[in-house]
Amino acid sequence: MNDADDDLLENTRSEPGEVGLVEPRDFIATGSFTFDNGQSIPGFTLRYETYGHLNAARDNAILICHALSGDHHCAGIHSLGDKKTGWWNNLIGPGKAVDTNQFFVLCANVIGGCQGSSGPSSADPRTGQSYGITFPAVTIRDMVRTQKLWLDSLGVKSLYAVIGGSMGGMQVLQWGIEYPSFVKRMLAMATTAREGAQAIAFNEVGRQAIIQDPEWNNGHYPKSGGPRVGLAIARMMAHITYLSDTSMDRKFGRKAVAAHHKPAPATDVSELSMEGVDPVAPATSFNVQFEVESYLRYQGQSFINRFDANSYLYITRALDQFDLASAHGSLETAFAKVEAVTLVVGFTSDWLFPPEQNRAIAISLLRAGKRVSYAELSTDLGHDSFLLESPQLYDLVRGFLN
Amino acid sequence: MSVPTIKRTVDMQIIAEWVAPRSRVLDLGCGRGVLLDYLKQTKDVFPVGVDLDFDKISACVRRGLIAYQGDMTAFMQAFPAAHFDRVIFSRTLEELSAPGAVIAEALRVGKAVTVGFVNHAYWKNRADIFLRGRKPLNPVYTTEWFESRPTNPVSIADFEHFCASQKIRITRRAHLSGNWKTPCGFAPNLLAGYALYDLTR
Repeated sequence: MNDADDDLLENTRSEPGEVGLVEPRDFIATGSFTFDNGQSIPGFTLRYETYGHLNAARDNAILICHALSGDHHCAGIHSLGDKKTGWWNNLIGPGKAVDTNQFFVLCANVIGGCQGSSGPSSADPRTGQSYGITFPAVTIRDMVRTQKLWLDSLGVKSLYAVIGGSMGGMQVLQWGIEYPSFVKRMLAMATTAREGAQAIAFNEVGRQAIIQDPEWNNGHYPKSGGPRVGLAIARMMAHITYLSDTSMDRKFGRKAVAAHHKPAPATDVSELSMEGVDPVAPATSFNVQFEVESYLRYQGQSFINRFDANSYLYITRALDQFDLASAHGSLETAFAKVEAVTLVVGFTSDWLFPPEQNRAIAISLLRAGKRVSYAELSTDLGHDSFLLESPQLYDLVRGFLN
Repeated sequence: MSVPTIKRTVDMQIIAEWVAPRSRVLDLGCGRGVLLDYLKQTKDVFPVGVDLDFDKISACVRRGLIAYQGDMTAFMQAFPAAHFDRVIFSRTLEELSAPGAVIAEALRVGKAVTVGFVNHAYWKNRADIFLRGRKPLNPVYTTEWFESRPTNPVSIADFEHFCASQKIRITRRAHLSGNWKTPCGFAPNLLAGYALYDLTR
């Protein structure tokens, strides 16, 4: 029906507030956990944050799943001086689209990660040494199964919704498949039921940058050291895949860096370069010339200070191996047991997990007779669009959750 | 009665009579989901809508409907034959660039196809052309030629001819007079303002 001219959206929203100060906690599983590949570890830790309160019926929990380089800190700040909020702070908070007045919102760092959850950089209690590459291979399903143990320990009886973008979206789908009656709603954005060759190819270049760095040393390196050059290059390249031609052009164009700072080039360059891990030859003519270069170097530099190279290898492998269609025969059969109501959101400029791959998820769920909607937001920000500050996206999420 | 309200109610009541309870209904060009919501409330259908516009899909999601943003033909092609009990085009046909092919696909994917459209050969529209020599301009055709996008208006005679030539079986028809409420039993191509058809292969 063509009724665009009526049914005006009533504006009943209250002024959104902030989650504010939050602190991470640890879930420590003492029992042994067996990974999909058959290997097990004697126990594990998941670092997590929660916002809002679990209601008496224990059914208002919303789980947020993070992407490759994300973590459990998705909303609020860690100290009053903290300039950086959690990565999805624009979506989560009192009165926001994911309303913490109404919902108990949780997010955990994935198994295999490096922000407090057990992963390659954690100590193996059997040896006292870091696991390194002796940590079992991790899958998206392992991430989901470990999180289920954590939610059970908190007394969460069902998930009102599970929400995630990119790799978070993969976990969302796996949640609905693995625990059909536990998950009431799935909201997956900018994701895929299996990566295309191009996405795998980019991940492989990132892995090779790390592995070919002599400092990687077969995964044995001290906490402070390791393949910093390789990891920085992996991040620089991956970061390009999260943006788009248009958005990079708008942000940087061909703007030159040095030209603006002729009087004091030395200080500026040292600030932007990677402090001795500059992957590019240090000869003057190959120093940073364009703003986009300094931006990428900054991204690489800040990443190596917070991310573990082995975790990067493990998690990109988990991404590449995720393939619901081949795991179940077809995508339609993969979704056969799903009970959740689902919303899939694609973004027009996402060329990493493009709209077609998001559409395919929705179509397969529909073919399997499930309740699923698909919306596609026009943006020019590329894969990272799901993190966009977009009132349209907020309205969609709010409408889906209420 | 304002035109938007007419637009809603005219189809809703008749289509709801034709729709079987708890059936699987696909509304192509579903807009904000007013019709599907009504069918969900009154007939407890499994409501699926397709539209091109993000905000319309968002409104459908808010109503708890199933909605898909994208091309309707590509959408239908993803489903096996007779996947839906009924496919509905409610004032959508006029917006399509190849309505014949789209209806053919709808007849494959749906066991029945319901079509509702404004009769372009209604006498007042004819009078605008014949007497004034101007594009029809009235509460239904609200825009001047210079502010319109290309549409593909259809008359009752056009549609009946199309069905006959394509060997599409018309199982039900409803012609409404110029007020879009009372039935129009005589010379519908001239006197009916709105037409509804139920089709099968």
